[in-house]
Amino acid sequence: MFPAVVLVSASLSRYSITGLYQGAVGVDNYSRLLEQEALGTVAANTLVWVGLVVGVTLVLSLALAQLLNVDFPGRRLVRWALIVPWAASLIMTAKLFVWIYDYYFGLLNRALVALRVVAAPVDWLGDDATVMGAMIAVGVFVSLPFTTYVLLAGLQGIPGEVYEAARVDGAAAWRTYRSVTLPLLRPALLVAAVLNLIYVFNSFPIVWTLNDRNPGFGHDTLITYMYKIAFKSALRDVGLAAALGVVNVLLTLAAVLVYLRAVRWREAEA
Amino acid sequence: MDWNTIDQQVSTMIQNNQPPDVLNLNAFASYAKDGLLYPAADVLSPKTKDDFLESFARGGEYKGTLYGFPILSSARAFFYNTELLDRAGLPGPPRTWDGFVTAARKVTALGGGVIGYALPLGPEEAQAEWSIWMWNNGGDWKRGEAWAINSDKNVQALGFLADLANKHRVTQVNPGKTNRTDGAFQLFKDGKVGMVIGFSPLAKQLDAEGKVKYGVGPMPTKAGAPVTLGVEDYLMAFKKKGNQEAVKKFLDLYYQPQNITRWITAEGFLPVTRSGLKQMSGDPKLKPYLDLLPNARLAPTTDPAWDRVKLDVQQSIGLAVQPGGNPKQVLDRLQQNATAAAR
Repeated sequence: MFPAVVLVSASLSRYSITGLYQGAVGVDNYSRLLEQEALGTVAANTLVWVGLVVGVTLVLSLALAQLLNVDFPGRRLVRWALIVPWAASLIMTAKLFVWIYDYYFGLLNRALVALRVVAAPVDWLGDDATVMGAMIAVGVFVSLPFTTYVLLAGLQGIPGEVYEAARVDGAAAWRTYRSVTLPLLRPALLVAAVLNLIYVFNSFPIVWTLNDRNPGFGHDTLITYMYKIAFKSALRDVGLAAALGVVNVLLTLAAVLVYLRAVRWREAEA
Repeated sequence: MDWNTIDQQVSTMIQNNQPPDVLNLNAFASYAKDGLLYPAADVLSPKTKDDFLESFARGGEYKGTLYGFPILSSARAFFYNTELLDRAGLPGPPRTWDGFVTAARKVTALGGGVIGYALPLGPEEAQAEWSIWMWNNGGDWKRGEAWAINSDKNVQALGFLADLANKHRVTQVNPGKTNRTDGAFQLFKDGKVGMVIGFSPLAKQLDAEGKVKYGVGPMPTKAGAPVTLGVEDYLMAFKKKGNQEAVKKFLDLYYQPQNITRWITAEGFLPVTRSGLKQMSGDPKLKPYLDLLPNARLAPTTDPAWDRVKLDVQQSIGLAVQPGGNPKQVLDRLQQNATAAAR
């Protein structure tokens, strides 16, 4: 609770560029926050970043979990391999991808040019059209292990009898998946979605590292924007950044509540 | 403390009312403005103070009083790949801007992904690259006491850099979105680049790798005499109850010639004291930089507004050299913000 109290009180104060406390200013920081020119772009970026990373991760993880739930030779190895991106530090993974994406030295361009997918190399992290997509791909990559394991645990909790019953009723594979597996997987999906929502929203290292060459705030999320307000932009304003920090916490809470309500509402209807 | 997070850590310490006793940083004026620092008279013996080189001591003054004690310096220099320049049929490094454009075009024309000039205007150190080009066009950050970021000379200089990227096409891809360390330097170390602005740590890396034959010299200039950027780091002492005597003892010990020089040479930097300059001038490796030092200019670090202007430049100047970028508009905006920050 103590950090939250400090955050709120900082958001109601003014600090000089050195961090020296200069007195209470009420809600001044909050109204100044709304006047920031970059806020709209950054909020839209955040929506795209969270929506796509969480959405794509869930879809891919459903498929991966299904695959890993089937017995095949080498399954244990694949299950272990999947943990690697999760165990590696996010900064290291992000730095690795900076080199993979690099215009001059990157493996990705070399491969794509050799396969004739693109005619000339692409500056994935410098071209405004591709930065966000490149960051989202890494975001999905590091979110897959955890999500897949949550869903795999969910799949293994579904008793074999219900599949037998479906088979007796003559249901086809896709029909069984939709009417039996997905509904019974709902609790696991719910956990995976909510936790990912929070993780991805608060994720700092990927966006910070992959976007560090780009001037301005065109590809920032609310989290990296908060850091830039405090330390890396002409604003250098700890109070203003704290106000955004409070807003960020409230936004995460609100998003989770809205999501839970929507899910429960559908459940009641069903 | 880690250099990447030092601003954040110091800010947190001051917010919590627990400032460090002594701090080494590349900025000091905002701390002096907030009244957090001891002036030199309180913590430095006259002998130590008089040993500082004049220009560096002036670079540590806020409103005429010395608060930022120079600790080390570095000077940027013009690096060129001698092999690529030879292959392009150039007699030597360019001395003028016209000669520079010609050289960059000829090197780029070698083909095979060779880049004439690596221009890093991404957020990492854009203010340094920009200062050097601006000064060599006869421009400056300020005119007298007032900011003059959008002067005609400066607009012209930034337009020149944008032309290098978009008209002459002699730079690497997206120079406004390239950082120095992992961008421009990396390409030069790989032998892909004809010319780049570097400093002594880059020379150290090039020598260790032994892959690229290079020369170091003065900047091509349009301003008569070549100008380079000198960068000064500071030591500052924070006012805390009962620490004045201890801080004074520490600083006197630190600034004894043998101590400070040992540290500076180990890190590949340049001296800030008369005694240090005398001691180090015999080192042939340092000669090109020491020769530049008299012509080196400092960024306006004595103005507290600079601490904001620097960050503003880092976050915006790169946009001016991107396709469709508008140098005048970017500089107007910087000027407007700098004037507001000065108030």
